[in-house]
Amino acid sequence: MPNPVVTCRDVSRVYEGDGVPVHALRGVDFELEAGEWVSVAGPSGSGKSTLLHVIGGLDQPTEGTVTVDNVEVTALSEAQLSDLRLHKIGFVFQAYNLIPVLSALENVEFIMQLQGVAGGERRQRAIDALDALGLADLADRRPGEMSGGQQQRVAIARAIVTNPVLLLADEPSANLDTATTEELLDVLRRLNRERGVTILTATHDPMVMSYTTRQVNLRDGHVVAP
Amino acid sequence: MPVKLLLQLSWRNLWRHRRRNTILLVAIAIAVSGVLLLNSMLRGMQVNMQETVIDNLTGHVKVLQPGYLDDPSIAHGFEVARDWDLEIDPDAVVGWTSRIRVPAVIMSERETRGVQLIGVDPARESISFLDDIVIDGEALGSPEDRRVLVGAALAEQLQTKVGRRLVLITQGADGRNREAGYRIAGVYRAEVAGLEKAFVFTGAETLKNMLDTLVVTEVSVRLVDDRFEPGILATMVDAFTGLDVLSWRDLEPQAAMIAEFMDTAVFIYFLVIMSALVFGLVNTLVTAVMERVRELGMLRALGMRPRSVVAQVVVESSLVMAVGVAGGVLIAAGVFALVADGIDLTAFDESLQSFGVRPQFTPVMQAGDVILVVVLSLVLGLLASFYPARRAVKLRPLDALRR
Ligand SMILES: Nc1ncnc2c1ncn2[C@@H]1O[C@H](COP(=O)(O)OP(=O)(O)OP(=O)(O)O)[C@@H](O)[C@H]1O
Ligand SMILES: [Mg+2]
Repeated sequence: MPNPVVTCRDVSRVYEGDGVPVHALRGVDFELEAGEWVSVAGPSGSGKSTLLHVIGGLDQPTEGTVTVDNVEVTALSEAQLSDLRLHKIGFVFQAYNLIPVLSALENVEFIMQLQGVAGGERRQRAIDALDALGLADLADRRPGEMSGGQQQRVAIARAIVTNPVLLLADEPSANLDTATTEELLDVLRRLNRERGVTILTATHDPMVMSYTTRQVNLRDGHVVAP
Repeated sequence: MPVKLLLQLSWRNLWRHRRRNTILLVAIAIAVSGVLLLNSMLRGMQVNMQETVIDNLTGHVKVLQPGYLDDPSIAHGFEVARDWDLEIDPDAVVGWTSRIRVPAVIMSERETRGVQLIGVDPARESISFLDDIVIDGEALGSPEDRRVLVGAALAEQLQTKVGRRLVLITQGADGRNREAGYRIAGVYRAEVAGLEKAFVFTGAETLKNMLDTLVVTEVSVRLVDDRFEPGILATMVDAFTGLDVLSWRDLEPQAAMIAEFMDTAVFIYFLVIMSALVFGLVNTLVTAVMERVRELGMLRALGMRPRSVVAQVVVESSLVMAVGVAGGVLIAAGVFALVADGIDLTAFDESLQSFGVRPQFTPVMQAGDVILVVVLSLVLGLLASFYPARRAVKLRPLDALRR
């Protein structure tokens, strides 16, 4: 049995905000197997985003260890974390976070440029990724010239084009209408089923939860039974 | 991070904020051209002042009898061997001459004045201001010329003019006073009026005869450039053992000090302007970077290393800086070309004369100064952009994204 893609052991995250400590995560134990699509659910403030950030190496837990693809994230330096994010993790944020001065195609290529993928291959893979998400016609548009749903799909294309071991999506549907959300979820399902991409989404959206293979519930920083 | 990507992103970002970057660029260009032009004025003054001093019969290097400066009389003269000559390298030396210079009293029918009576070889005086003075009447013809050349200001004081006779009294080699009458060959106008009152010229041989001597009181060498001075000094020390071999700096310590002070002034003034510019630059860059903190945080969340993000910001500001500096140099060169022939300062004549500056003023732009300005601007600009860039990456990507 292969190791899980993500392992969290007794992960706590305490924010020292204005003297009163905020316990965003309190001893979370959590595993994510390869090929799963898990949604982290819970009310606002329950720690969903914090968990995704800690797993993605964007935040450091106050206690506990996080392992991604057999690498202990909690032991890495700033530069090593950059590399981990670049090579192993795809991020999709609630606010699409595309680079405004680059076209859709260039945004997707950008990550591969950072990785040092050669020009011809890079372009082909970016075109394929946009194609897979139905964005072929929008390749030359800049983010400001696209709708929210289109930008979110470009963000997903960018996140998966590097074949990451893990796709993290924080409230990917929060700014989208129902129809667009459905399209988006279909895309993620295809990626999960056909390409075996391991996905972790944080959401309150019941529609998202209906698509996932498993659900983890958070309440006040604890994992609780559904 | 590939350089091409870095440049591409930088270029697009600059273009996106083109309004702010244009303003920044123009400000840099104006500051740089201002520094360069004012610098050329200061340099012009410095060169002008030095030229004036050297022109005033000082030359770059002068040979004197040790006691002459304290008691400038014929008693402190020396002989120059007839066959002595300075081997002249035309790239380094303009020329040399010997003179005999003594204090004298000059009398017209109406007035009496104290002057310096100078015996010259007119053909060799291309090395001094005598070469380009305006003369009413005639110039001296030869060392044997028995007439005198007096300044216009002196002629006015003496209430005399070309063709009239003057009497000159001075001490001979034997310590006894000699007196002789001279006809005025010409009245000269010097750019600096003080000279007109001080210097009366006659033929060197004429003056030697009058003083009944074979000696001269000075040998003066004019160089093409200051930097040949040490070499010539050494040559002259060898040739004139026992005599004082002095540079213009020794003879005109005040002018030398001012020239030296100008060097420092140029540098300090440059640093002050540049500091002001850098201060403004840092402020603008900090604002520019802080506006983009979210975006830079996102780049890092995607896996761009902090170092690359710093490089990104630094490259962007360096590009603006480089174009601004280049623009500044071009503007300065353009304006300089317009005034390079000289600026007429006759309107301020009197106040400038008291500084010994000529009314015709020529700005000077030295390659070394331009290089200093360009290099220092670029270095300061680079340092100035590091600070905001470092500030931007000190934020953790998450905090940056939350902004
Ligand atoms: N930078 C921070 N400083 C202080 N407290 C924070 C910070 N980030 C999060 N928190 C707190 O930690 C707790 C968990 O926040 P988190 O963003 O993980 O919740 P969430 O489940 O993602 O909520 P939402 O559904 O609103 O996105 C909250 O109480 C929040 O106020
Ligand atoms: Mg959240």
